[in-house]
Amino acid sequence: MNNINHPAHPIARRWFLQQCGMGVGAIAVNQLLQESGYAAGSKSDPSKDPLAARQPHHPPAAKNIIFLFMGGGPSHLELFDNKPVLGKFDGKLPPEDLLKGYRAAFINPNSKFLGPKFKFAKHGECGAELSELLPHLAEVVDDIAIVKSMKTDAFNHAPAQIQALTGSQLFGKPSLGAWTVYGLGSESKNLPGFVVFSSGNKGPSGGSSCWGSGFLPSTHQGVMFRGGQEPVLYLQNPPGVSAQLQRDSLDTLKALNQNHLDQVGDPEIATRINSFEMAYRMQSSAPDVMDLGQETRETLEMYGAEPGKTSFANNCLLARRLVERGVRCVQLFHESWDQHGGLVSGLKSNCKATDQASAALVKDLKQRGLLKDTLVVWGGEFGRTPMVQGGNDGRDHHPNAFTMWLAGGGIKGGTTIGGSDDFGFNVIEDEVPVYDLHATILHLLGLNPDRLSFRFQGLDQKLIGVNPAKIVTKILA
Amino acid sequence: MAARTINLFAVSSVVMVCFLSQNVEAGTPAPSEQPLDFATDIRPLLSDACFSCHGPDPEHREAELRLDLKETVFADHNGQSLIVPGKPAESLIYQRMTATDESERMPPVDSGKKLTASDLAKIRRWIEAGAPWASHWAFQAPVKSAIPAVSKQELIQNPIDAFVLEKLEQQQLSFSRPADRTTLLRRLSLDLIGLPPSIEEIDSFLADKSTDAYRKQVARLLASPHYGERWGRLWLDAARYADSNGYEKDAPREVWLYRDWVIDALNQNMPYDRFIIEQVAGDLLPQATQDQKIATGFMRNSMLNEEGGIDPEEFRMAAMFDRMDTIGKSVLGLTLQCSQCHSHKYDPLTHENYYQIFACINNSYEASMRGYTDEEQQQREKLFTEIDSIERSLKTSMPDWPQRLAAWEKQVQQNQPVWHVMKLKNVDSNSQRYMEQPDHSMLAQGYAPSRFTSNFEAEIDASEITAIRLELLNHPNLPAGGPGRAISGLCALTDIKLNVENTEDATQKTTIKFTEATADFSNPRLQLNFPYEDQKGVRGFTGPVSYAIDGDNSTAWGIDAGPGRLNQPHEAVFRAEKPFGYQEGSKLTISLVQMHGGWNSDNNQTMNLGRFRISWSNSPQAQADPVPDHVREILAIPDAERTSRQQDQVFSYWRTTVPEWKTENERIEAIWKQHPEGTTQLVYQERPQPRQTHLLDRGDFLKQKQVVQPGVPGFLNSLPTDGPVNRLTFARWLVDRQSPTTARAIVNRVWQAYFGQGIVTTSEDLGSQGAAPTHRKLLDWLAVWFMDEGWDLKKLHTLIVTSRTYQQSSRVSPALYTKDPYNRLLARGPRYRVDAEIVRDIALKASGLLNPEIGGPSVYPPAPAFLFDKPASYGPKTWNVEEDADRYRRAIYTFRFRSVPYPMLQAFDAPNGDISTVKRTRSNTPLQALTTLNETLFMECAISLAETVLSSPQDSEDHRIETAFRRCVSRYPAAEEKQVLTRFLNRQRQYFHEHPEEATQITATKKLKESTTDFAAWVALSRVLLNMDETITKE
Repeated sequence: MNNINHPAHPIARRWFLQQCGMGVGAIAVNQLLQESGYAAGSKSDPSKDPLAARQPHHPPAAKNIIFLFMGGGPSHLELFDNKPVLGKFDGKLPPEDLLKGYRAAFINPNSKFLGPKFKFAKHGECGAELSELLPHLAEVVDDIAIVKSMKTDAFNHAPAQIQALTGSQLFGKPSLGAWTVYGLGSESKNLPGFVVFSSGNKGPSGGSSCWGSGFLPSTHQGVMFRGGQEPVLYLQNPPGVSAQLQRDSLDTLKALNQNHLDQVGDPEIATRINSFEMAYRMQSSAPDVMDLGQETRETLEMYGAEPGKTSFANNCLLARRLVERGVRCVQLFHESWDQHGGLVSGLKSNCKATDQASAALVKDLKQRGLLKDTLVVWGGEFGRTPMVQGGNDGRDHHPNAFTMWLAGGGIKGGTTIGGSDDFGFNVIEDEVPVYDLHATILHLLGLNPDRLSFRFQGLDQKLIGVNPAKIVTKILA
Repeated sequence: MAARTINLFAVSSVVMVCFLSQNVEAGTPAPSEQPLDFATDIRPLLSDACFSCHGPDPEHREAELRLDLKETVFADHNGQSLIVPGKPAESLIYQRMTATDESERMPPVDSGKKLTASDLAKIRRWIEAGAPWASHWAFQAPVKSAIPAVSKQELIQNPIDAFVLEKLEQQQLSFSRPADRTTLLRRLSLDLIGLPPSIEEIDSFLADKSTDAYRKQVARLLASPHYGERWGRLWLDAARYADSNGYEKDAPREVWLYRDWVIDALNQNMPYDRFIIEQVAGDLLPQATQDQKIATGFMRNSMLNEEGGIDPEEFRMAAMFDRMDTIGKSVLGLTLQCSQCHSHKYDPLTHENYYQIFACINNSYEASMRGYTDEEQQQREKLFTEIDSIERSLKTSMPDWPQRLAAWEKQVQQNQPVWHVMKLKNVDSNSQRYMEQPDHSMLAQGYAPSRFTSNFEAEIDASEITAIRLELLNHPNLPAGGPGRAISGLCALTDIKLNVENTEDATQKTTIKFTEATADFSNPRLQLNFPYEDQKGVRGFTGPVSYAIDGDNSTAWGIDAGPGRLNQPHEAVFRAEKPFGYQEGSKLTISLVQMHGGWNSDNNQTMNLGRFRISWSNSPQAQADPVPDHVREILAIPDAERTSRQQDQVFSYWRTTVPEWKTENERIEAIWKQHPEGTTQLVYQERPQPRQTHLLDRGDFLKQKQVVQPGVPGFLNSLPTDGPVNRLTFARWLVDRQSPTTARAIVNRVWQAYFGQGIVTTSEDLGSQGAAPTHRKLLDWLAVWFMDEGWDLKKLHTLIVTSRTYQQSSRVSPALYTKDPYNRLLARGPRYRVDAEIVRDIALKASGLLNPEIGGPSVYPPAPAFLFDKPASYGPKTWNVEEDADRYRRAIYTFRFRSVPYPMLQAFDAPNGDISTVKRTRSNTPLQALTTLNETLFMECAISLAETVLSSPQDSEDHRIETAFRRCVSRYPAAEEKQVLTRFLNRQRQYFHEHPEEATQITATKKLKESTTDFAAWVALSRVLLNMDETITKE
């Protein structure tokens, strides 16, 4: 009989050491990874620990990604895609052939054009056009690449968000963040590899599937954080359980688990011990990373962040703090952009809530030297119709053309690519379907979108589906 | 080359196991000399490396070459042979696979596919052996092979052991020793009922020295009603069960009758073939029972998009695709989904085959029915008998009733004015969609706003219109059949407004004033119940039909006739102050004001009309017809041709018009008040008119190609010919004895539940690309045996759990672990962390909190409120945490929102029901640790466990520690463990003595006999025990 309070016998101990890092259902996940061919032939840690940092396929341009997801469908026509001609056609019906085969969510497609509601001006050295709603973004316009030729297939929120974030309108596929962590692992030992925040009027239409792991091992799914005392669910000890009791409980638990490991020899127990230790570390590391009080007043002001509040600004700043600590993927949801009506007031308040912080994130990352390693992506699930909805202050969902921007690692700042027709209706140049955006993001992260695959249901499933990878090279540095 | 081959095989013992031959006798030859099995060794290599370009899919086929068929592989290819049996060097296929020139080599480098040296060696050996060919193993019906002879025959407890031991002996291995009895009973109990045994159950088993002691436990557990919960949960994964609609709104849905059906069916040991038939086509069985209809809820567990901007047909198609995927995974073990957009790349399933199967299940309403529990059914029967007996006594009391009834009939036969049905056009851009029905009624579908006005136009070539009639009609797609869209099927008409315009001259228009409203039925003035209220909590009224013309948005015409009669059609007639209309033609704009829903349209708070039809009349006396539609229909049948039931129905209405029977009519009305409400359930219901199915190009519902007739793919069994080609016949086809995959798929999944992995590890895919079975003969033997035994699941469980294979100890030596880390050979018993629901259930059971009640509506255990509110959730969701015993129900009953999964279950890998899941991942994460340490209910379990062990005041501390320990893991603690725990307990006593305020916090909810500090220390100890790896692990 082993002495329970002393180190394990050699074999168990060796297993324990091999299991260092994030815990994992060793057998099940190893098996999945091996079956997927991911770890085939590899004797390195990935097969033991799916969240251990891994070598990318090629030298990455960016190590981390922050995706600012603007749920609801921001109007490209009021923010990025200046269409003076549309203004001239305000109140007129669209040409018949433009609408051929077009389906709209709410409106009769044959509704009158609505001219852009805001003024545009050129900014920065690059001279990119931005609307007056985005004064802060205008200050960093030379650091971002604007893609005015995004295109998607779905025009209802949930399917379009699922497509934007998992590559498919059908549920059940892994999210971009999950694929990223699957491909690269996590640099952080004390925090999850994929963290999610939500602000705005409501939660994302796609629900938790927007950050789900689909058929990938569930350790890859996003973990929702939020402001306040308990950034992660169940992070706080129950009432009356002090830090000292928690530590003593964990030590005792460890002794009991270790003893049992010695008895039964299942390395999964070592992983469990490790999971509890990491949970304990998270109990202090997570509140620490969430403590915006540690930031200077200048930084807080730059973002418009206020410690203790739940806001997009706070979340942007938290995203920076997380990538600083090695979190691979941070996904922010701000679901407020569904302006069927109240277009002018809605956009004003949305931009007030997001423009400053989005720009501050780029600035802040840059001044800290983090921007070169971090890819920032801004955009929603679709754009909005040039046709009016309701009286004269609303637009319907529009999948044919919309705008997103990217900044940071591997992105050529000050670039604008793509273009839509005079009405902002169809893409006419450099069309970027959602899966090409995904291919580009993976490429920048050092992953080959054709090779990043997982065997499920007999197929090597990929984020980009069956589409051949097409990198949007024009925006690459 | 031969030497190299041996080396290659020696690299990995795990891989090698899969390639061992099927027929090994004593004196096993070295692996490399064993004959290869084409189906499991070679075909998978070809499939993976070649079929995507040279396989079943014609669209992506290269060089017009198919390598998945024997006839094309061995055909002459311009004078060359792909394969020359016995001569690899002369075989073109082998030449190309081994070409040194990259541009020649197959598979091409840029395909990302690769054949390893060991793969090539196998292909070489296979060709050398004469290249025997067979189609994919799982597409041939399974046959029962002879039970293998093994050298240690004495170890064989049943045939399973022979198949397993055969492989073990090939590896010079044998079974581990049997697990000790305590471990075994805990394993068995967790496996069969998903709960750990009680201490009494363990003690009684340990004390039972009879030879069949173990079998008695098996029988006991299989007879437990908790068996259905444990195995039902696994089926519910495959059936993608959840309690909400999914997508953005993710409104709650009522489907728990289906969940309970699954539990009941398994508890009654319904044969598996029947189990499938009822779920796929129960409604089509002769004289289908309520339960058989409820079973079709399986087809309805698809998600439902109720976003404002949807085309309902698009998402009906999405649901159809989901049904196909589900049937493929859960029943067939095949990846049907792959052929939704194009022909399958690996299995011989064409794009057209997919839509043939699709056509088999495409002719149904997505219906909703009202179902009743057993108790409710009894209650209904009782009151119907009472009513019947009163009606019989009425007949006796009035001997001339037939004459009086005939006179009444004559009087009402021709008393209705002529009504002209209007063809309506919806003129709103709001998001409720109206599907015009053949009778020109409108069926409201899609998003349901809860406070709005819908406007319709109709052009009428008439003037002198006196009245319009609004009929509220049933439809299978409406909740409980309608006629409204409220969750009960009710609706309320706040107001009806009418404007008329001259079709020739838009300046001539009038707003019509209604002066009389009549209805066949209105409920008395009633205030609506929660949740039909505005954000200030103000609730409107329903009542007489005059409320629909009073211009008051707080009052509406109501049709609530009480339980049992909620879902009936009704009509109202609105008469104008004076006749209206224009000689040139009249354009009517009818506004249906519907302001009686609740404020949150995302949460089932609508009170909208569901299906309705509007007609006009120029009769000056037009009024609502009090005679119900179903009675009118019978009156149209000549008296002599009516069935006795029809005659009774006429009588039941007529008696209400007889003034002398006022008292009895009131008595009957009083009886109706006792009718149970029942519960709605989503079901599948066949449509009378067949719906055409088209092949959809790329799976796009807008790109319809040729019409496809219902059918099944040729490589599987053929459809039974003794019935019409419909969903029922398709269901019977699924579970036909000739089906090559159905029995294998379920047997494999049952195996997976016991051993952590299936004999085929890709339990969702037995097709070409699936993993090769580790024990193919065993799988096939089990599949055939299972069918021979009448698809009897409990027998299958009994067979497995009484095998030596199952009863082995799960302890593993380093040597064995290194040799077989995944336990594919089964030289030891299974050991793994239990499923999410069981993690919770163990804590509840160990602590004594478990409420073992079976079935009923889903419940709301504690969860952080913010999750169900913005911005975490798309919209606010109702989650009223249970404060009574429902708080401690088994986790299978926890309400499941798809978009906001219950966090504890999500942390432990429970699927959220978005899609069919037949294999869960099993992770081991810090978030799990945080959950079991800190989550509310786990802490309550720790407190309760402490309370339980302290409840016997005379117990020694030692005994108490033992009790707590055994409640968690069944076994006694070892001396060292007890020591560790005692020291911990004493430290915490000391600690809480010094920190009494913390002790008080822990024990705040409890009224205690013990001292607070002592109790808190016990809570701390219990918490440690509940968090042990062993506690949540099946050993």
